[in-house]
Amino acid sequence: MNLIKKDPRKEFGSAVSELAEKDERIVILSADSGNSSGFKDFSIKHPDRYFEFGIMEQGVVGIASGMATTGKIPVFCAIAPFVTCRSYEMFRNDLGYMNQNVKIVGRNSGITYSELGATHHSLEDFAIMRMIPGTVVLAPQDPGEIRSAVKAMLEHQGPVYMRIGNSPIPQLWEEQKFEIGKGRILREGKDLTIISTGTTTLQALEAAELLDKQNVSAMVIGMPTVCPVDEELIIKAAQITGKLMTVEEHYQYGGLGTMVAEVCCREYPVPIKMHGIPKTYATSGPYDELLRYYRLDADGIADTALEFIKKFI
Amino acid sequence: MTEINRLNLTAAKCRRNVLRMLEASGHGHMGGALSCIDIVTALYFYAMNICPEDPKKEDRDRFLLSAGHKCLAQYAVLAERGFFDKSILDTFGGLHTKIPGHPDMHKLPGVEANTGALGHGLAIACGMALSLRSDGKPSKVYVIMGDGELAEGSNWEAAAAAAHYGLDNLVVFVDFNGLQISGKVTEIMNYTPIADHFKAFGWATRDIDGNNMQEIVDTLDSLPLEKGKPNLIVAHTVKGKGISFEENKVSSHYWSPGEEELQRAIQEVEESIRQLEKICGEETI
Repeated sequence: MNLIKKDPRKEFGSAVSELAEKDERIVILSADSGNSSGFKDFSIKHPDRYFEFGIMEQGVVGIASGMATTGKIPVFCAIAPFVTCRSYEMFRNDLGYMNQNVKIVGRNSGITYSELGATHHSLEDFAIMRMIPGTVVLAPQDPGEIRSAVKAMLEHQGPVYMRIGNSPIPQLWEEQKFEIGKGRILREGKDLTIISTGTTTLQALEAAELLDKQNVSAMVIGMPTVCPVDEELIIKAAQITGKLMTVEEHYQYGGLGTMVAEVCCREYPVPIKMHGIPKTYATSGPYDELLRYYRLDADGIADTALEFIKKFI
Repeated sequence: MTEINRLNLTAAKCRRNVLRMLEASGHGHMGGALSCIDIVTALYFYAMNICPEDPKKEDRDRFLLSAGHKCLAQYAVLAERGFFDKSILDTFGGLHTKIPGHPDMHKLPGVEANTGALGHGLAIACGMALSLRSDGKPSKVYVIMGDGELAEGSNWEAAAAAAHYGLDNLVVFVDFNGLQISGKVTEIMNYTPIADHFKAFGWATRDIDGNNMQEIVDTLDSLPLEKGKPNLIVAHTVKGKGISFEENKVSSHYWSPGEEELQRAIQEVEESIRQLEKICGEETI
């Protein structure tokens, strides 16, 4: 594992910018958010394809829809709760219902804007965005996957919501082609499967190592597409390990865990532990301490997994 | 006057189309549809570069009905202009209809956006106008907004953006019939003088009689009102215009007429068609 950490926003911005060099349909929209989303260089180099609107997320989503009707591929990135909750109806109607080819990216998602408090946290974005028919929801897990997810997102025809974090993250594996709707087994195991998405996958892998020392063999699945979720892989994991635990920097209910449970209760019922943040306005503080507080660090995930499987011994 | 009378005749026929849809469903947002239908008629039969046989033509002008509940006007005019067969008008209110209670671009040719939730159309139109202009296209984007709709804050985000980018290819009519579902617009949330609000945002504005075809056409002929500024036309209209006993009444907003009322309305509109046909016929001679 290469532990050199990279800023997810810069990775995202540079990945979009590189592809925009080759595809003039790609335009960048900003709600006073472009520079912080990694588009400073692009805005200088391509002022004709960089549109600043000031702090008006609702307006920008509607404008993006209108631009997409003429064949553009608008990309709009800003702080996650403001491009999901605040402008939800614009996404639902102007992008979803109108089926427009717009890419909305929520950065500083989850609790990564830890010290700024609950107004700036995004803990329900999976839950609400997945309910918009035809919308793809992505949560890439490392810098390389952000780059490949950006490519897949831009090649996909239709509305996409992608969330990225804020704190620098390490490269977990070699960059691979990103296939929307597919998860991947990152670690084999037989006692339990941990299914993680986005920023928590690093901790999930570390937790699996800790569990190993407790003689618990944990499979780890990385699930960078939250919607449509990889049903086949979930069923396979349920069949192999008989117990699933979902891990996400999101409310514990409504997100990936709920989607996994929907699949299992229909296709292959097994016990599921949904691990995330309880439905509350999360407290604030340093990111690492917040993860520890909500048991989303490696120790917390491993302990939660042990408590879960003990119920079945 | 020939052109104006001909447009008035078309608008009267479109009013009859509205009533045809109400015959099918028994109810609908009639009042606002009939207040703006003269403008919609002028757009589709006088101003806009559109092609019913090729509704997605690249260099077409766009029309967005931001106040999507007035869709009876849009359907009536699209049908009259030949975008779809008039028999579809008889399906209004029915299961799987192509003309639902708010327009759906995926169901009906000629519809550019899925409006209905108020406060969306202006931003979408702004994006269209910005994109078309940056591509060097001559197309204009026309929007009809409701007066009650102005209370949606999202409009003002788009209003600022349109002025900031100097979108003089964006043409917005506010259908100022003065009434919304709960009463007078000025009593519910007062945005008058409407033109002054937009002017303060950097728009070029004009007040007109929105049921006077000559004034509508004159305004369309004088676009852009000011180079480099988006256009805002406050169209002073009459809710339920053309059905005398429902004009200027809140009850016309969502009208559920009895059979007798509906027949009376049809008779009035058909009489106006006969009179206009006579005028137009005499002019032809």
